[in-house]
Amino acid sequence: MSGILPNWLLPGLAVALPVTGSLVIFRAGHWKHRMTGLAVTGTVLLVTLALTVIMAVTVADGNRIDLVLFPLLPPWPVAFRVDAMGAVFAMTVAGLFALAMMHAVGYLPDDRRQWRFHGFLLASLGCLIGVALAANLLTLLLFYEVFSLLAYPLIVHERKPEAFNAALKYLVYILSGGALVFTGIVLVQHIAGSGTFVAGGMLPDGASDPALIVAWAALMTGFGVKAALMPLHGWVPDVHPAAPSPFSAVLSGVMVAAGVFAILRVLFEIFGAGLLQRLGVLPWLAAFAGFAVIAGAMRAVAEDDLKRRLAYSTISQMAYVSLAASLASQTALAGALVHIVHHAFFKGGLFLCAGLIIATTGVRRISRMRGLGRRMPWTAGTLTLLALAMIGVPPLSGFTGKWVLGSGMAQAGGYAHLAIILAGSLLAALYLWPVVYRIWQTAEEPGPDCGEIPDRKPRQDNRWMLTAVLATGLITILLGLAPRLPGFPLELAETAARTLLGSPAWK
Amino acid sequence: MTAELIDLRPALAVVISLACAGAVFAARENARWRAIWSLSAAGVKFALVWSMLPGALGGAVYSFRVGEVLPGVAFGFRVDALGLFFALVSSTLWVLTTVYALAYMRKSHSLSRFFGYFALCISTTVGIAFAENLFTLFVFYELLTVCTYPLIMHNEDLAARRAGRKYLVYTLSGGGLILAGMAMVYASSGTLSLAQAGILDASAGGTTLLVIFVLLIAGFGVKAALMPLHAWLPAAMVAPTPVSALLHAVAVVKAGVFGIIRVIYDVFGADLLRQLGYTDWLAVLAGAVIIIASVKALRQRHIKARLAWSTISQLSYIVLAASLLAPLGTLAAIIHIANQAFSKITMFFVAGVIERGTGKTRVDELAGVGRQMPWTMAAFTLASLSFIGVPLTAGFVTKWYLSLGALQGGREVFVGVMVVSGLLNAAYWLPMVYQAFFRPMPADRKAPAGVSPMMVGPVLICAAYIILLGAGASAPAMPFSLAEAAARFAIELKASVE
Amino acid sequence: MTHWPHWLPLVAALPMVGGVLTPLLFRSRPSLAWAWAVSIASVTTLASSALLLTLVGSGPFSYAVGGWLPDYGIELQFDPVSALISPVCIIGLLSLIFSRRYVERSIDPKKVSFFYALVLVNLGGLNGFMMTGDLFNMFVFMEIFSVSAYALVATAREPIAALAAFKYLLMGALSSLLVLFSAGVVFAMTGTLNIADAASRMDVAGPMPAALALAALATGFAVKAALFPVHFWLPDAHAAAPAPVSAILSALVVKAGVVGMLRTLELFAGAEQLLQPLLTSLVWLGALGALGGALMALVQRDIKLMLAYSTVANIGYIFIGLGLATASAATGAMAHTLNHAVIKSALFLAAGAIIHRTGLRHIDDLRGLARRMPVTSFAMAFALVSLSGVPPMAGFVGKWQIAVGALQAGRPAVLAVMIIAGLIVLAFSVRVINALYFRPPSRISVASATEVPLSMLLPIAILTAGCLGLGMTGQPVLEFVAPVIKNLYGAVP
Repeated sequence: MSGILPNWLLPGLAVALPVTGSLVIFRAGHWKHRMTGLAVTGTVLLVTLALTVIMAVTVADGNRIDLVLFPLLPPWPVAFRVDAMGAVFAMTVAGLFALAMMHAVGYLPDDRRQWRFHGFLLASLGCLIGVALAANLLTLLLFYEVFSLLAYPLIVHERKPEAFNAALKYLVYILSGGALVFTGIVLVQHIAGSGTFVAGGMLPDGASDPALIVAWAALMTGFGVKAALMPLHGWVPDVHPAAPSPFSAVLSGVMVAAGVFAILRVLFEIFGAGLLQRLGVLPWLAAFAGFAVIAGAMRAVAEDDLKRRLAYSTISQMAYVSLAASLASQTALAGALVHIVHHAFFKGGLFLCAGLIIATTGVRRISRMRGLGRRMPWTAGTLTLLALAMIGVPPLSGFTGKWVLGSGMAQAGGYAHLAIILAGSLLAALYLWPVVYRIWQTAEEPGPDCGEIPDRKPRQDNRWMLTAVLATGLITILLGLAPRLPGFPLELAETAARTLLGSPAWK
Repeated sequence: MTAELIDLRPALAVVISLACAGAVFAARENARWRAIWSLSAAGVKFALVWSMLPGALGGAVYSFRVGEVLPGVAFGFRVDALGLFFALVSSTLWVLTTVYALAYMRKSHSLSRFFGYFALCISTTVGIAFAENLFTLFVFYELLTVCTYPLIMHNEDLAARRAGRKYLVYTLSGGGLILAGMAMVYASSGTLSLAQAGILDASAGGTTLLVIFVLLIAGFGVKAALMPLHAWLPAAMVAPTPVSALLHAVAVVKAGVFGIIRVIYDVFGADLLRQLGYTDWLAVLAGAVIIIASVKALRQRHIKARLAWSTISQLSYIVLAASLLAPLGTLAAIIHIANQAFSKITMFFVAGVIERGTGKTRVDELAGVGRQMPWTMAAFTLASLSFIGVPLTAGFVTKWYLSLGALQGGREVFVGVMVVSGLLNAAYWLPMVYQAFFRPMPADRKAPAGVSPMMVGPVLICAAYIILLGAGASAPAMPFSLAEAAARFAIELKASVE
Repeated sequence: MTHWPHWLPLVAALPMVGGVLTPLLFRSRPSLAWAWAVSIASVTTLASSALLLTLVGSGPFSYAVGGWLPDYGIELQFDPVSALISPVCIIGLLSLIFSRRYVERSIDPKKVSFFYALVLVNLGGLNGFMMTGDLFNMFVFMEIFSVSAYALVATAREPIAALAAFKYLLMGALSSLLVLFSAGVVFAMTGTLNIADAASRMDVAGPMPAALALAALATGFAVKAALFPVHFWLPDAHAAAPAPVSAILSALVVKAGVVGMLRTLELFAGAEQLLQPLLTSLVWLGALGALGGALMALVQRDIKLMLAYSTVANIGYIFIGLGLATASAATGAMAHTLNHAVIKSALFLAAGAIIHRTGLRHIDDLRGLARRMPVTSFAMAFALVSLSGVPPMAGFVGKWQIAVGALQAGRPAVLAVMIIAGLIVLAFSVRVINALYFRPPSRISVASATEVPLSMLLPIAILTAGCLGLGMTGQPVLEFVAPVIKNLYGAVP
């Protein structure tokens, strides 16, 4: 499969291609035909996706691809390492970005500024893949910081005042988080003399506990901002509704996940399960994550704005992963990883649906969505499907993830954890079901405080958006039905979980 | 490993700008010859300085001794890694600044004076970089003061005179302190040579050493704008933009911090200072300055004033890094000479372009400028990111090594200072970027006029350098390894850098 | 040519004789008088250079005038201190060259030949003073150059000149009187007036007469050198005199006081109990003079007065150096004697050129002059920077040596004084530079001024070059004067 290209080239290309592509796309506004620009964007996206898939297949059986680029800060290099965990995340990122971009083509007005959006989106794709494939903390920090900043122009793309306010909040949170991450990484670098990820942990045992705990706390809080761990989540519910919907999808689907991903890397490949247990810090993580699962979901119930509700739901759902990680059990971890992937697509899909609804009808509030099902049956159908997936109804993808997650927790004896997960799912039903109910409610039975969907002329070219929405639905079904196909997330996640906990993959 | 080679190039590098100054003065108001002389001297000097890089990387030390001026006090040049690094930075920036200045100053008066003294400044700066001993360093340091003065006073109005007076009062008093310190060094050790990594030893007595340290650090600290001694720098923003660039990036403040580095590592020596512990206090002072100056910068509304306060803060990075006495800290100090220079000069160039193009000088007037001058403002954004310390930019390199240096030196608190300072930098740079790119342009804004490619070109080159310094430390022909060599020499701890 | 001993009396006699002849020969033809004076001065300069070369080549030598032995005749000697005649002659010559056009405007044409005569006599007197090894001769030569100096001050057209000259005369007479008195005391004690002989016979054990002699000599020469607090005659005299005369007075004549002090110290070498209080007070007075002179210069608005006060300050430095009595401080003081002469004469000549062209001497009136008189302004600025002791200019050498000496002698306070005084000097220099370069012209005579002719420009340029050159060659000068120090204080620390 990878005979065409040498293996070591793959990660480099997967990062470089979108970044270079973005530079080209910035100029696309000056091109004659819109289709040329779209074709270039599409090609870049598809090739990137293909590259990530090839990588995923290559590493599915426990192989690794290493690529050391150059010493950024001598002697510490920028280096890539493709392992199962990175590959599965990279693939998810590329896939969701492709869908979001497709959605954006329809969502954004056809003018020169759309290319700015596409350009920044491609650049952040490259950086996110960089995060996924980073072989050491320095590389991770590099791509992490850059994509955090690249999100700013994307959030404010529509130039709404509330977007600027939200983006300012975002920036304050993210930069502070970045500063903490920096502190943590510098500490790790100082303690260990390197920051290379090593399965099973790389910090020397001899290091002093206070230093280790400070480093751990700095890294957890730093990445926790991005991962929207609950006391640090403040930016999430503001930014998601303010950003253009295709970007909200990406934000919720993979950017938040990038924080969680980084947390996993730090927990298991810097500290290592053994060291963490010795330090006794995992219960803290569990407490925060558990709180986030419940509190996030409860806030979601109270929201009327669809995108805000989804944003809180993201906080709740992503905390599952941290919760699972705090158990340090192999199956739970595999479930957590799978959940990251599956969540990316169904949450991304939900945001894309919301975007389509907003673009078509201008309605953002759930209470005013009555009759939507009739007006936009495909969209409403997909939305329902995705909602079911998130609640965890079999055989959709959400179920698979939670099943593995839950069974892992049960195996590891984390019944409290399990209970939290179940409560989270229950709450998910509580905040998603009204949406489904409302959109299928017919206009003839008006409720007391329910507005009806206004009759606006839909935009001409919403085929792009609709295709993207439908694709997410299809993926959700596919991932739910056939999770164990080779190269599919579950298999990769299991490999990754085995590796993370320090048992070599080939055993 | 280190071979002393007698070589004329160090002296030539100094003389070439001197000759250029003479030629420019002689050319009087002939604009063409002025440009030709300035540019060719800049080019020749650039080539001369860079031609020493391969040798220096190979461990050679070029020296050229003019002779003894006073008993035991020689006038001579010696190009070690640290000096060459500084010279590389300023000679590279001189080329860019000259090009920029030729365009920026086109309509101004007394241009032969301006460019003549401009050349003299660089001549003296390279002299400072290549000085073999404290005396030679001091000579050029004082001459630098003298030569910058006409440049600060260039506008010849009340504000310029005030600024010039302030500048002189500060720098000359600083010079006096250095002179006193130097005399005491000479009296207690009988030599002023910088070639042996520490000429003082504990036998001089605690009080004497403390007095020397205070005198020299305060003396150089004036030009380095170390905080109680900084007031001249914000005042000097009235000078034309190329002069600000010269002050803030190419020559003057750098001469100050360079002097401090020399004092710490070559006059006292890291070992002695570790025993004495004076640098702990210096580090605390520098750390405080970093934060206070950033807070002050936050409150400035004038673009150049904000830049000036930021310079004060950034210079203390270097002082802090140098006073950590840890190998990685030293490395950060040296590297930041280049990083700060390129980032800050980009900003000053941009401020000049904005001023020339749109007449805007205040932070809150920048709305929409990014749309009018996308490339220029992109360069500014890059420089901002560099100061914030975003990876891949020059500033990150400093932040990284400085933090590690702080840990290495057992001064963890300065990691916190770095982090807070990075956030403060974000707080005062990003709003400018935001104004420029994300605020709608006022309806009555005129199209920019009078901005020539000769001004934008240097901006973009400097911006490219920010990336190059940030990402290409290991690229061939980057002086990073030189800085490393200098740090290694300064601290004599080879192992921990590697 | 290499060693023709008669040059020695000639360098003193030639200018004096030539000077006396000038009004006789060229009374009504000023330009010929100028040519005559310049050629006499040139020959003297050449002769002094020849002597200097001989000194460098074969060491100090002496000459008995008329072949009489030292005890009775006049002995002239040539050692590194006497070598000061070489710069004396050069500066005198340059001032003379400068005077040609200057006197046209500032001196009554009828008096011009007298003016040249007086300058030449003054020069001869100075040369003789520097070379003589005899106390009485010293007094005689001192009278010669002093009286000619009073007269020179009086030649100026300034209304204040006569008064200033009178003040100068009074103080000068007092100084001469003191020197004569002590010469008598020394003769009474030792039976000789030859300094070297007297030094060997001097009975320093009986303190009273010796102390009296020392005190009288020191005070006398201090007045001559305008050491604080007996400096008050200087500023008016130097400011009122015609510019070339100011140059000679400030650069050379006050230095005669320094040389006199040096010779005097030689006389009492080894008399620790006598010297120590003197030296200490010299340091204190020097420090006060350096600070006070600089401060007074700072508040002056008249450019020549400012320069005159700066002379007081620099004399202060020199006496600090002498008083510290360490090798480097004393050599520094002697080097500064030379360097200050060059710098100050450059400054006074440049100021003269400015006054010549514009008629203005108030600093604020000189605004914007640099554009009209670039060379003169540059010389002024350059020499001012040099004066303040910025390395590598001439002013630095002496100050550095004195500063190092101060530290060696354990007096860091002196270092502080010198640095503060240096900064004050810089401050007033900057004021002048600002006015010249960075202010728009405020006076018509400035706006219409043109650069001075070559005969004025050339001396200024040469002296300005000297400001830099002497700074770069500090080392040889210091080595040259070093031997003198050995027999100055007896046992040098």
